[in-house]
Amino acid sequence: MSGVIVTRGLVKRFGRLRAVDGIDLDVRAGDIYGFLGANGSGKTTTVRMLLGLVLPTSGEIELLGGRMPRAGRRVLPRVGSLIEGPAAYGHLSGRENLALLDASGPGGSWRTRRQRIAEVLDQVGLAGVGRRPVKAYSLGMRQRLGLAAALLRRPELLVLDEPTNGLDPQGIAEVRELLLDLHRGGTTVFLSSHLLAEVEQLCSRVGVLDRGRLVLQDQMATLTAPTGATVVHTPTPDRVRATLDGRVTAIDGERVIVRGDDPAEVNALLVGAGVPVTGLALQRPTLEQVVLTATGASSDRVEADR
Amino acid sequence: MILVELRKMFRRPRTWATIAVLNALPILVAVLLVLTDLAPRPGEGPPFLSAVLSNGTLYPLAALAIVLPLFLPIAVAVIAGDSIAGEAQAGTLRYLLTRPAGRTRLLVAKLVAVMLFVVVAVLVVAVVGYVVGTTMFHAQPIGGTVIGGTGGTSFSGTSLTPQDITNRTLMGIGYVAVSMLGVAAFGLFFSTLTESPLGATMGVLAVLVSSSLLFTLDAASPIAPYLPTRYWLSFVDFFRDPIQWRDITRGLSLQAVYVGVLLTAAWANFTTKDVTS
Amino acid sequence: MRWSVVGVLVVLLASLPALIGALPVSDAAVSAHDLRAAVLASRTVAFSGYAESAGGLALPVTDQLTSVADLFSDRTTMRVWWRGPTDNRVDVVTATGETGTHTGTGGSWTWEYERATATRVAATPLALPAPPDLLPTALGRRLLSEATDAELTRIGARRVAGRDALGLRLTPAEKASSVRRVDVWVDRASGLPLQVQVLGTEGSRTALDTRFLDLDLATPSARTTAFSPPPGAAVRVGKEAEVVLEAGRRIEPVPLPATLVGLPRRHLDGVPAAIGLYGRGVTLLTVAPLPERLSDGLYDSLVQSPAAIVDDTSVRVAAGPVGLMLVEPPDEDPYILTGTVTLDALAAAAARLPGLGSAR
Repeated sequence: MSGVIVTRGLVKRFGRLRAVDGIDLDVRAGDIYGFLGANGSGKTTTVRMLLGLVLPTSGEIELLGGRMPRAGRRVLPRVGSLIEGPAAYGHLSGRENLALLDASGPGGSWRTRRQRIAEVLDQVGLAGVGRRPVKAYSLGMRQRLGLAAALLRRPELLVLDEPTNGLDPQGIAEVRELLLDLHRGGTTVFLSSHLLAEVEQLCSRVGVLDRGRLVLQDQMATLTAPTGATVVHTPTPDRVRATLDGRVTAIDGERVIVRGDDPAEVNALLVGAGVPVTGLALQRPTLEQVVLTATGASSDRVEADR
Repeated sequence: MILVELRKMFRRPRTWATIAVLNALPILVAVLLVLTDLAPRPGEGPPFLSAVLSNGTLYPLAALAIVLPLFLPIAVAVIAGDSIAGEAQAGTLRYLLTRPAGRTRLLVAKLVAVMLFVVVAVLVVAVVGYVVGTTMFHAQPIGGTVIGGTGGTSFSGTSLTPQDITNRTLMGIGYVAVSMLGVAAFGLFFSTLTESPLGATMGVLAVLVSSSLLFTLDAASPIAPYLPTRYWLSFVDFFRDPIQWRDITRGLSLQAVYVGVLLTAAWANFTTKDVTS
Repeated sequence: MRWSVVGVLVVLLASLPALIGALPVSDAAVSAHDLRAAVLASRTVAFSGYAESAGGLALPVTDQLTSVADLFSDRTTMRVWWRGPTDNRVDVVTATGETGTHTGTGGSWTWEYERATATRVAATPLALPAPPDLLPTALGRRLLSEATDAELTRIGARRVAGRDALGLRLTPAEKASSVRRVDVWVDRASGLPLQVQVLGTEGSRTALDTRFLDLDLATPSARTTAFSPPPGAAVRVGKEAEVVLEAGRRIEPVPLPATLVGLPRRHLDGVPAAIGLYGRGVTLLTVAPLPERLSDGLYDSLVQSPAAIVDDTSVRVAAGPVGLMLVEPPDEDPYILTGTVTLDALAAAAARLPGLGSAR
């Protein structure tokens, strides 16, 4: 099957609280999947269930074709993950941390270990860090080390929970480049985040979680597809309405929404009538608008952490 | 996996600090004994301590007897309580499990590492005790009966050859190590219940303190044979002649039962619990 | 599912002692008379074992006799190797050492590990109570030695030290006795008493309970019971019993009544004439004059006991079935009455005594 992560009716109850309430994820090979949700919407619990850390109350999880958590030993070596921030043994160096983690499970040959560690440290920008113990690392360096650990075995799937936490803008850009680079190499990326902008910039597919329910899941291209209207920027909106009587659906300051999915045709009409046009574009909804529509009244919580 | 755990534990400064603290008290006691030459009065103080002034080769046992009631269990409780809970608190547990290290395998590796710590700690105390004993006290030669060696007297008043003393000391060390395995099992079990290593350690100490307290209470005598600390001091029974196996075998089986039950419980809990740390 | 494995394991292990305890005990139709005879004949049966005695007797006595007092109030654990009455060894085991008594034909060696001292004591007709006397075998034989058939009944069997033990109950006939009853459980195969329980008339607590935890009927090796002082040990000769007897001999004999509170006077070899022994079996009463210097200290410690009954000239106190009374008449020397009789019987006996003289 082509599904990299498939869940059916996934439910997790903590006592009386349904933290995750029947979600059906569908992440396909080659996706950069953006998993959006407010803090407390069940994102982290879902990620932990995917990786076998939290056991589902009911429902099924398939990860790389294996039923989790039973197939964990077979499929997890092919998955790299970063869950709720990095963690390492403070008294050891980054290099030793990676070596110990790599030796703790199957699928990482000790013959290639030194080389792989050197490569991933280089990849995340920690090549020159030396033998410094991790407790002397900055937050950003720890985040990079966590990424390095996730990349250590060239995974087919990366599950990343808030990977840019603690990074400066420069670092965020670097990580974004790295992820796109990996994606071009064939890695599927599952990116859990509450940052709309991050998801909008990176992802090819989006799922939105709201209070334990998956309220939206689709291709980014579909969600932000043209609405069949054209946006006209003009200093004289009244003249647009006069010219295209009946086709104007909304006027917002100098921004006029005109029915019709051919900006060239709209432009020709307006220019023909001598209306000044300063800007012209196909109308596309922003991801924010899509999410707001999908999550309804509670959606302000998504924005609260921005 | 086991090697990984051992590397983690023995590369940790805290492990060695614990062992160092463990040895501080016996060394202090030895120095005070040498300086003052005041042996404890008969029937008081830890076993063997009154005998070491005349025979320093018994100091490993005296050292073990000194640390056995409190220091050794605390050290084992600290290390064992830290085993799973420490990884949970540091957050490394989730990465180990998604590596995947396998929950049962991780538990077994932790168990082996803690057991090895117990053995190393007991051995270090014994070796340091031996060095201290033979350098600071007389290694008493027994005139005529044993040529070129040192012997000693058993509790029962029979003479023991150096070979006997060595064998019995080794058995005593082994017995103490097994007694501590029960503590380690408690630590490992509590460690799977909580995300706080301190909480797990405190849990173990609470069990041990209650057990020691109940042991002194006549009203609790019906349950006394089942208390985990009941047979701890039975390692002195190796120095009776003939060796008194009764309490030793009971102590060993009791520890085996505790270790078996607690490890099964630890396994049942750890393999079915949600790791949310 | 996994937790149920744990549950099953815990239930199984927790019920194991109860299951073993519930193993059926087989009784046998042996009469009380025959059972007593078997006990008295068991002196020469060789065995080795591990015994524990727990005394509920808190004797309020002075410092001089603390070791005897401890014997009856503490929990004492003993290892025994018994080849015969004159070849045996009893070790009192403590957490930090042990005190072993090796008895041979000419006397006994007592080895105290913590003092590194070996004490040689010659065989005497009378000795102070020592831990070996608390072994179920020794105590059982002693308590049954003067019992009559009328006092004995059979009670059910029980399992002691993993062996079938037949029960024998001794209820003293004497009215003055403070012992309600003595229960002895006797090994069916060898006649060895395996457990002895003494109950006083006051309260329901067992005054003394001594039992074997392990028993092996194989003859122990002679090497185990033999003793020679190890190198470096202090060797001394013990004379405590002689000192006590000597003190008793120096007391001037006084005329004592032939019976006291219904108990006839009796004579034992080696006991000085000034000391009066009365009674039989488990009901015994001793009357002895006491030097004034001893009596003052004893009086002070007795009156502090919360259970003490004090009147103008005397104080009496009971510790389990053992009663102790100290009389200090105004113009005469003090004397002491003690034994396994009730406090009322002690007072009645004291009232019947003539003035006693003491050694000067």
